[in-house]
Amino acid sequence: MTQPTPRSQRPTTDFSIIGKPTAMVDAAEKTTGAGKYTDDLSVPGMLVGKILHSPCPHARIKRIHTSRAEQLEGVVAVVVGKDAPSPYGILPVGHDEHALAVDKVRYVGDNVACVVAISEAIAEEALELIDVDYEVLPAYFDPEESMKASSDLIHDNRPNNLEKDYHHVFGDPDKGFAEADHVAEARFIANEVTHAAMEPHSTLAAFEIDSQTGKPGRLTVWSSTQVPYYLQHKLSLVLEIPMAQIRVIKPLVGGGFGGKSEVIPIEIIAAVAARKAQAPVKITYTREEVFWAHRGRPRTIIDLKTGVKNDGRIIAVKARVVQDGGAYCSYGVVTILYSGALLGALYDIPNIQYDGYRVLTNKPACGAMRGHGTVNVRFAFESQLDELAAKIGMDPAEIRRRNLLQPPCITVNGLRVQSYGLPECIEKTVTRSGWKERKGKLPRGRGLGVACSHYVSGAANSIIRSDMPHSTVNIKIDRDGGVVVYTGASEIGQGSDTMTAQIAAEVLGCSLSRVRVVAADTDLTPIDIGSYSSRVTFMAGNATLRAATEVKKLIVAAAATKMNCQPDDLVFREDAVVSRNGHVGTAAIESLPRAQPRGPAEQSSAATVSGRVEGQILRGSLQQKRKDEGPKDRMTFEEAVVAAIDFHGALTGTGSYAPPAEARGGKHKGAGVGPSPAYSYSAQVAEVSVDEETGEVTVHKVWAAHDCGRALNPVSVEGQIIGSVWMGMGQALTEEMVWKDGMLMNPGLLEYRSPSSIESPEVEPIIVESVDPEGPFGAKECSEGSLAATIPAIANAIYDAVGIRLHESPFTPERVLAALRAKKNAKAINLTEGVDPTSPTRFREHGGSLWFKGKGPERHPLDPSRHEPAGGAD
Amino acid sequence: MKKELIELRVNGRDHEVAIEPSALLLDVLRQELQLTGSKRGCDDSSCGACTVLVDGVAMMSCTLLAASCEGQEITTIEGVSEHGSLAAIQKAYGDWGGAQCGYCTPGFIMTVKSLLAENPDPSESDIRDALSSNLCRCTGYNQMYEAIRSAIAAERCAVRNSEQGK
Amino acid sequence: MSLPRFKLLRPRSVAEAVEHLVNHAGSVRVLAGGTDMIPSMRQKLFEPEYVVDLRGVTALREVKLQADGSVEIGALTTIRTIERSDFLREHYPVLAEAAGTVASPVLRNMGTIGGNICLDTRCLWYNQSLTWRKGCGFCIKKDGDLCHVAPGGTKCWAAFSGDTPPALLCLKAEIEIAGPHGTRRVPLSDFYTGLGDNYRKLQASELVTRVFLPASSKDYRGVYRKLRVRGSIDYPLAGVAVVLKRSNGHVSDARIGITAVNPAPLLVKGASELLSGRAVDEALAEAAGDLAAKISKPLTTSALTPEYRREMIRVFTKRAVLAAAQVNGN
Repeated sequence: MTQPTPRSQRPTTDFSIIGKPTAMVDAAEKTTGAGKYTDDLSVPGMLVGKILHSPCPHARIKRIHTSRAEQLEGVVAVVVGKDAPSPYGILPVGHDEHALAVDKVRYVGDNVACVVAISEAIAEEALELIDVDYEVLPAYFDPEESMKASSDLIHDNRPNNLEKDYHHVFGDPDKGFAEADHVAEARFIANEVTHAAMEPHSTLAAFEIDSQTGKPGRLTVWSSTQVPYYLQHKLSLVLEIPMAQIRVIKPLVGGGFGGKSEVIPIEIIAAVAARKAQAPVKITYTREEVFWAHRGRPRTIIDLKTGVKNDGRIIAVKARVVQDGGAYCSYGVVTILYSGALLGALYDIPNIQYDGYRVLTNKPACGAMRGHGTVNVRFAFESQLDELAAKIGMDPAEIRRRNLLQPPCITVNGLRVQSYGLPECIEKTVTRSGWKERKGKLPRGRGLGVACSHYVSGAANSIIRSDMPHSTVNIKIDRDGGVVVYTGASEIGQGSDTMTAQIAAEVLGCSLSRVRVVAADTDLTPIDIGSYSSRVTFMAGNATLRAATEVKKLIVAAAATKMNCQPDDLVFREDAVVSRNGHVGTAAIESLPRAQPRGPAEQSSAATVSGRVEGQILRGSLQQKRKDEGPKDRMTFEEAVVAAIDFHGALTGTGSYAPPAEARGGKHKGAGVGPSPAYSYSAQVAEVSVDEETGEVTVHKVWAAHDCGRALNPVSVEGQIIGSVWMGMGQALTEEMVWKDGMLMNPGLLEYRSPSSIESPEVEPIIVESVDPEGPFGAKECSEGSLAATIPAIANAIYDAVGIRLHESPFTPERVLAALRAKKNAKAINLTEGVDPTSPTRFREHGGSLWFKGKGPERHPLDPSRHEPAGGAD
Repeated sequence: MKKELIELRVNGRDHEVAIEPSALLLDVLRQELQLTGSKRGCDDSSCGACTVLVDGVAMMSCTLLAASCEGQEITTIEGVSEHGSLAAIQKAYGDWGGAQCGYCTPGFIMTVKSLLAENPDPSESDIRDALSSNLCRCTGYNQMYEAIRSAIAAERCAVRNSEQGK
Repeated sequence: MSLPRFKLLRPRSVAEAVEHLVNHAGSVRVLAGGTDMIPSMRQKLFEPEYVVDLRGVTALREVKLQADGSVEIGALTTIRTIERSDFLREHYPVLAEAAGTVASPVLRNMGTIGGNICLDTRCLWYNQSLTWRKGCGFCIKKDGDLCHVAPGGTKCWAAFSGDTPPALLCLKAEIEIAGPHGTRRVPLSDFYTGLGDNYRKLQASELVTRVFLPASSKDYRGVYRKLRVRGSIDYPLAGVAVVLKRSNGHVSDARIGITAVNPAPLLVKGASELLSGRAVDEALAEAAGDLAAKISKPLTTSALTPEYRREMIRVFTKRAVLAAAQVNGN
């Protein structure tokens, strides 16, 4: 392993907190094990819930017999669909889910019933005592087959099992292709991947008894969610109780990546179960259930056509995208729109045609996953662009430079681009990777590939279609000089709480240790629509900035009076307030006692406790002392706060953020998805080697430059870049949900192969700061945008190494070897079961056979197909 | 099933617990002793989030029966902090971004503890091999290497200082 | 997912363990390192009334050199101990190397050599939860009566997926089995049946207690090559052990063992005839690869396609033969 590059190339900063490497405010909780995730919580009288899942991919429920389960000693309640029949869904247009199946099950793993018992073992035992009569229906597993369906639809109101289709034309694509010097056209297939966050979903729900009515009243739900507010909203819908009677608390969350960015069945089921059992109920998914809850990236067919001029300019793009969305809508309508919308805003493309189909199949629902909607299409696009560069004999990095946007601008599909660090990203990765010197000169089997990507910093239009602010933040400062920030933003490991504390501390000029962040508790914190689409830094960050600025004004006014100077003359920094007159800038600050710098994440943690007089905290005497003195030329932060409270009363500030109208996109149908107040940019170079006898691909290193606007916390930004690249590498090489007739063959971390440390490469993160005019301190997103470039960078590097173009991901060794053997005209062996990875036509299913048609031996008594003829599932 | 009374020694303290014979060490730690730092991330003994030390050897507590650990010294993440402060490795994981969501972190720290106990000066590939027992979904492991190197350096520095102080 | 409820028996000796097995024959399972047994019990693949936990049997945890030059390895010796044993690394490097590829370091701290030998055969249609298996209608190996990987077939094709047995086969290892009538010693090659369901010849009242490496195998040196997707954690998707014995500059004997592509680990017949008396070169190594590929019958029991896994047996055997020749100073 090579030594990681020292981070000496990090941008420098004049801020006192922003831009400094900072340990996350909750780091110690995490490294000591003291922090609590939902499954770590327990409340008195808590029961355990376990869910019965469907063994059939598509069936009508004729009857559920629960009596045997109910009679088992230790079982408190058995919950079924009719206990909460109201439909819900994350999108207003997609209310197609129920807490538990009401009439039909639509995938193997669908939720049928829930047992509440005094222990997990008893609940599991009781599940086996529930008998369900199913009427097996024909099932659909392949999206292109599913689109032909005319009967036995998955949802009656979705003809042809089509959740949604969109057809967009921008510019004149036909004319564009006619003018093109070179056109490439191919089918790409990206297989299905899932978030596989380390924490399995968990929810604890408890009702309080209302003092007035003496009956069950308020509901409190602790849940591993990225979206507490949406959860509160959907709970209200399904349980039919007002939102004000529901409190959602998000404890620590062990990773989300989109898998917790909508309401997951477990969250509704736990609440319904707590109501029926009349006791607190906790449900934690098994890992297999996490795979069934899914909401991951759909497997996708991309039929892509790109036309370029001889000078490398892209003149037209046409994409037909089919997503295998699974059995429910989930975020599907948004996913299929992102896939088209994010063809724009990276490069300047004058003519675009997009036809997107979101299709229902009898598989677990797909939803939002890191890089939502853009990743698979970007794999196809950046691969095809590489092929076109080769065709016209242009350097792959150069062809990307030839197609840059000229911001500020509005793209052909209505996306507003202001800050645009892509040119610098390309420049830096190319330089740092030694691209010019090394490309094409590496030994056989080793190669370099380049690719770019981008992503939104939050959606400009929220999914709930309202004009309310997307983020609101309250700040309270009391006489102790402590700053409490109340934010609805959800820390899920990405550093949301730390970002909030940093912005508040920077604006107020106080040390980070003064700031306490209270987050994601709907009783305490104002509405924030959640941690998804990389919106938190931009939106909650701006709201924090505004709240802090508002409260600071009060302190400034008081301090200016006290110090007998103009408010504009005051500088707040590192727990001190100084006047620019006489004590210019940092000279005065440097005379203050300071904490010793320590380690990489150094920060001034020792707040000056100015109220401490002779070992005692004596506010009265402090104030007396203050009154006795004349005008000051310097105050501590706490003195200024006390002065401000004396002048104004309590110090509070509120800030909120809603994206500006100009950033909210065009008027065409579906124009609401894609627009963002700002876009992040990424360029990457991957270095790989390919074993030509085995097809095994090794990624040696990835250089990843990411334009995050401004790096508020470089350690975190680098962590997000590395993590995104790494997850992209997983999708490129090892991760794949393997299906056979709707059965997920690998629902566990042993068989779903998220990379281990052994095959994980060094990733060199390169921070590019374009300083966005609307971002907080110029910041944009940094957690998703890098993922999409990694897959095509690796694909292009494989081409550079061994000359094969893989059009199907992941690039597993059998696919790579099949392509290599085909190229060499070696003896054909059926390595990939009839699907050519260089020109795939369909999704490949796992081998073997699931069902027998009318023959075969007697089935096990528990075999569902024993009760019903095995219909149509073959 | 009738519960049995067993004695478990965890983080230097003895605990009597009444458990079913089929109880897993992880569940007993989390539910009976409220030591929730060890996590469950999978059901097939693949992820390592539950890693603890048994007589100093890193093992997966989700794959051990609690009853069969009687008489052995169990160390969990809760036993790592020294005198109420972060141990060097814990501090370094925070400073260098070795922990993001933190769910896998206790398991990793136990794995690193056992690595450094038997090999105080591990090579890059020793570290990489050792970490391959645990899965992380956030970090891509890179920042963990920096954290571990920094912790080793901090420990050495502390040892040198204490030797000089003698 | 909780474990099925069982009564736990914690013997301190082999005799005591065997007694438990005899007393509860038919409703008892043996637990050693637990790295496969515990997840399998979670999935309700085994729901025994009694579990005999061998952790307390301290006698079987050592690697011992016998007076006759053979080596005795207690069945409860951890994979980690074998991987790190200086003695084994020096004299039986193929075994130490194979041990070093098992699962992950922490799992090797727990797993035992006896457990790796007795490892249940694996299949994607079998190693699943009870709920999952209901969805596929069960299979021959557990609760059902049809095979999904060989549709219509009535033979179970679950693949033996231990890493150390191919190396042990190459070393002509023997195992000691303790039972109610004392102990018996059998060549490891006679231990496996070749069937995916009843994959080993072990009575319900018996226990594998020791592994012996004959003194005569000391001169056989070689390597183990493992196909897997991840560099850690994974079971083998194909595995090849090759050992060579040399005298006077040429190969005087050779053995090739393969794993993860059949219901049993197998020695490749004809390896010695092919390689003996010849200098190893690319063409010869390739011929050895063809020989090994011929007897490998992978089916869709795991990730990666059967054709690919068979092809990798060919490639890995070729490479292992070349590498073994290097080890032997060709």
